[in-house]
Amino acid sequence: MRTRLAPWLTLGVPTVFLVALFVLPLLSMLVLSVWRTENYHIVQDWNLRNYWVLATDGAYATFLLRSIAMATAVSVICTAIAWPVAYGITLYGGRYKLLLTLGFAVPFLTGEVLRVIALQGLLGPVGLVNGVLMSLGAAPLRAIMYTNVASAIGLVYLYLPIVVTVIYLSLLNFDQRLLDAAKIFGASPARAFFEIAWPLNLFGTLIGFALCFIPCLSATLAPRFLGGPNGTLYGMAMAQQFGESGTWALGAAMGVVLFALSIAAVFVAFRTVDLRRTGFTGFGRG
Amino acid sequence: MTTNDSLPLGSAASPAGFDRRKALKTIAAGAAAALATPYVRPASAAPTTLRALMWEVYAIPEVIKAFEDKHNVKFSPTFFDGNSEAYNKLRVGGTRDFDLVQADGFWPGLYYREKLIRAIDYAKIPNTAKVFPVFKPDRFKLLTDEATGKHFGVTWCWGSYGTTYNTAMMPKEKVQSIECLFDPEFSGRLATSARFEENIALAGILVATRMGTKDKPRPDGKPFNPYVLSDEELAGVEKLLIEQKKLLLTRYNDNNTLQQLLESGAIAAAPEFAQSYRVLLAKKAKGEIDADFAHQLIPKEGGLGWVDTWLVTSGVADGPMLTLCEQFMDMMLAPEIMKQQALIGGASTTIDIRSIATPEEQKLYLMDRTEELSDMYMFDQPSSTEKWERVWSRMQAA
Repeated sequence: MRTRLAPWLTLGVPTVFLVALFVLPLLSMLVLSVWRTENYHIVQDWNLRNYWVLATDGAYATFLLRSIAMATAVSVICTAIAWPVAYGITLYGGRYKLLLTLGFAVPFLTGEVLRVIALQGLLGPVGLVNGVLMSLGAAPLRAIMYTNVASAIGLVYLYLPIVVTVIYLSLLNFDQRLLDAAKIFGASPARAFFEIAWPLNLFGTLIGFALCFIPCLSATLAPRFLGGPNGTLYGMAMAQQFGESGTWALGAAMGVVLFALSIAAVFVAFRTVDLRRTGFTGFGRG
Repeated sequence: MTTNDSLPLGSAASPAGFDRRKALKTIAAGAAAALATPYVRPASAAPTTLRALMWEVYAIPEVIKAFEDKHNVKFSPTFFDGNSEAYNKLRVGGTRDFDLVQADGFWPGLYYREKLIRAIDYAKIPNTAKVFPVFKPDRFKLLTDEATGKHFGVTWCWGSYGTTYNTAMMPKEKVQSIECLFDPEFSGRLATSARFEENIALAGILVATRMGTKDKPRPDGKPFNPYVLSDEELAGVEKLLIEQKKLLLTRYNDNNTLQQLLESGAIAAAPEFAQSYRVLLAKKAKGEIDADFAHQLIPKEGGLGWVDTWLVTSGVADGPMLTLCEQFMDMMLAPEIMKQQALIGGASTTIDIRSIATPEEQKLYLMDRTEELSDMYMFDQPSSTEKWERVWSRMQAA
């Protein structure tokens, strides 16, 4: 009896959860995207006009391209920082490994809004950075005040802990003795890293990259509070549709496009990588 | 087979005609009734809770507590940021969830047309008689139904979308025109709010002035309204806002940011609701800052104004709940409460409180300048949110 019930319970509950809280809202978004809004009213008029607007009005394509560029840059920076940090913790963390990793989760104890606003205070005209510069008689750094650079700093700050944690977890399962073996057989540390450590942890790295890239694509808070007049990203423009402009149907279409793009990006990434050679252990023994 | 044989085990009728099934039904009905009791109250019963959908800045704990104590009810506020958020809440059943709601500009009229709020009787709210003349129903038309003459809200606080500026960084003669917000001379030292409606409407006034269409007959036959712009004017606004973007340091999202920008000298001027201006003046008075700031209420081309209101939702029926709503609004409009509201919330009041205000407060809260409101264009619904959204998006993407 227990063996018959166990799969239903362990798989059934998450399935119900996913259908109720993910699939159904997504379907409702899909339906809303083919209706239209008129002065804060939803008109159930089936058409593809919202998608036509997105395809033909260059503004939305610009937001999307900006977001892709921003998400790529932030994800690359996060991965580049996270690797040595996670590697360092694994190699030299000793008995403080867990503590050091948990330390990266500390910012999550506060809300995202609070963290972004704190960063705005830090980078803003009277923030710590510019305050120190001005007290030293230097000019304030305009590059970090309400610019895309400030947005990128904010996004790296928000998502770096996730990437570090994921890569660290991947490295935990990596057998360090393989590196020792490579060195014994004459490989330089760099060669051992690039031919063994990196490829065997590529799956974890990709997961970390994706967990940073996808939320960055739809980021709203960082560009809104840090980005400045030229910093509107796709997620911020999408949130605007559901906020004061009340053009919910267009916003829903933007959401559907973003979802499709995210799925496509993940699909392409995993099609181009041979999972069997990346340290992925999810195929089972067969 | 007897009748009893066909009954399930344990369901045999007792001699008194009361079996287990009946007992279970009775218990279930009793439990359901007990659970539903708090939610099913006769309209005539004394209300125990007053639920309001409102702006957080207006929820002053001492005032709320005094009302709760006096009427032996609990005041339950829910806060919103923008009118569209409150509108959405009301449309998805909020008229049953809230008794009172706040709104400004055209929104009360929209709510009334859509039967989200109900008519009220000013005679039951005596403090409405104490409003400045410009807010009396014969002059302030936004809370009166044109067809029936019924009133559907009371005025509360008011303000403009004027320009606060650093007097050392921007000359007074410049700030008298909206042009100052588009002047390359102040490149990198300007900011505007992130609100798309007011940015477009303010630019719309300037564009219509430049095009000479502001004082000419309008396509709709009505006087010029910056929220009802022609396609040509909207195209001009888009071009102007794109030009302005290069001059802006940022678009602020909150008063605190704006205050910091002005205080630090990062910007010379920004349009705002005068709340940051009042904070800066208070700091100056305390000697915390050196810079001098001034506020241009209405530019020469015309300016935008707003009046916050209290409204009663259509879910409130005649009877004790309506009476409670009227008592609440009347208390909130009492001069001493309004003064408290002005000092804490930083907004000008629609009730004449000059007799209990100091000359400094009268100046700071523009108590002698309420008549200027009649020269302002009230916050309104964009003629087409879709067209306005495109203008805003194109500007952001440019």
